[in-house]
Amino acid sequence: MATQLQLDEKRRKAITQCSRCGFCRAVCPIFDLTKRPITNARGKMILMKEVMEGKLPVTEGVAQALLRCTTCMNCTVNCPSGVDPQEIIKAARKDVVGLGYDNLFKKMGEVVEKYGNIYGEEERYDWGHKKGSAPYILFVGCVGTYREEESVEETIRLLDLLKIDFAMIDEVCCSGVMEDVGYKIKEELARHNVRELQKTSAKTLIATCPYCYRVFKEHPSYRNLGLEVKHITQFLKDLDFGVKTNKKVTYHDPCDLGRHSGIYDEPREIIRKIAPNFVEPKRTRENAMCCGSGGGLRGSFPEDSIEIARNRLGQIIEETRAEVLLTECPSCLHNFRNAKLRRQKIEIYNITEFIAKLLQDQGKKEAA
Amino acid sequence: MNIEGYEFPDGLYYDKNHFWARVEGDLVVMGMNDYAQKMAGSIVYVGLPPEGKKLIQGKSFTKIESGKWLGKVFSVISGELVAVNEELEKRAKLINEDCYGKGWMFKIKPDNMNELKNLMTDPAVIQEWLKTEIAEHGEK
Repeated sequence: MATQLQLDEKRRKAITQCSRCGFCRAVCPIFDLTKRPITNARGKMILMKEVMEGKLPVTEGVAQALLRCTTCMNCTVNCPSGVDPQEIIKAARKDVVGLGYDNLFKKMGEVVEKYGNIYGEEERYDWGHKKGSAPYILFVGCVGTYREEESVEETIRLLDLLKIDFAMIDEVCCSGVMEDVGYKIKEELARHNVRELQKTSAKTLIATCPYCYRVFKEHPSYRNLGLEVKHITQFLKDLDFGVKTNKKVTYHDPCDLGRHSGIYDEPREIIRKIAPNFVEPKRTRENAMCCGSGGGLRGSFPEDSIEIARNRLGQIIEETRAEVLLTECPSCLHNFRNAKLRRQKIEIYNITEFIAKLLQDQGKKEAA
Repeated sequence: MNIEGYEFPDGLYYDKNHFWARVEGDLVVMGMNDYAQKMAGSIVYVGLPPEGKKLIQGKSFTKIESGKWLGKVFSVISGELVAVNEELEKRAKLINEDCYGKGWMFKIKPDNMNELKNLMTDPAVIQEWLKTEIAEHGEK
């Protein structure tokens, strides 16, 4: 059995390309929390170099250290040497699993195969929305379905209020997350989703979850989908909502939507239509700090993950004094809602959920 | 009382949603029982609603989450929420560490203290019920 990382030449070169400058420390959400050198990209690059060169053995400690990364890419955009650490870390996670250091996501893989979702939930609430043929299919993902179902309900209500002709499918987990935590996508689940999508006459798949969006767009298992894939902010950006709020509103860029997908403007175009009093956080767009939920951190180190969200939420409140924080990612939404302290009065919503609430409030006022 | 390795202290009231109740003056304190906290695993979040919220016995009023599980919190009695354990905001795992003590969750001013009669206090009844739960849901 091999005892060293088996990274390919490109990644080996990238590891040596890291100049150990440490500029990544200031933008790493886990370093921000722990102040431990191993938790940020620089520390992991040094560790991987030493393991790669056989100076240190692969151990359970190495495997655990590699799990402490949200794959947020903030280090990538701030790296003067042009290294993309999260991509190498994800490859190294697979390597150490291959060397026999399975992690807790092995069990999650079994759960997702058995139940079709990452939580092992046996029953799936489908909001009673129509299935079958429609021009658009809405895909909501595991976190929305099982952790933020009230938000998803509002998103569905919004599309209905906007008279969008859409259907839903008997979706299962896109399972792309397995690739980030040391394992492989569940091909049978991907085939199920592709089959269900192709049964419809839809031309466009609308994903509410930025991570699902990326998997549908990028993963080879969804290559032959035959549908245009849009994140819901891309789909809604040209629509008018006929409603506004006077509240001071801010926005958190989800890492999977922003740095990973380059979608920064669409959410802002939507927000500016409904919230004239929109203010950006200081660290925003490609420099937005991560909420702590990505890369498997919420699953492997949930308390740290929520604490990171608490840090980010505190930053946003301090920097903006906003009354409403919007985002458009079920994982960010869930982590922020878990992290919010009672004394913090800020309201937290997905954009779509917030617009649906504004429309409902307006409808009630008109009826009164 | 210890039932199958789970602590169910005498003198408390227990409901079938896995919450306990204790009378403190004219208030009722509630929390999660030992079997439920062990089954849930490491608890990372409890929703702490604002004081003043009206609660109904047996109805859910907030959420509780561990790394692997999301559940609902059901009120043990009808009344008004008058206090929450703010320690849980940053240390929800107090429920795992001391579910009948420092991990208490809510204090309620009951509309009618007699509703406690709907809860279980008889050790034999509690034991029989818990064994049925273990048979259905397994154990840790």
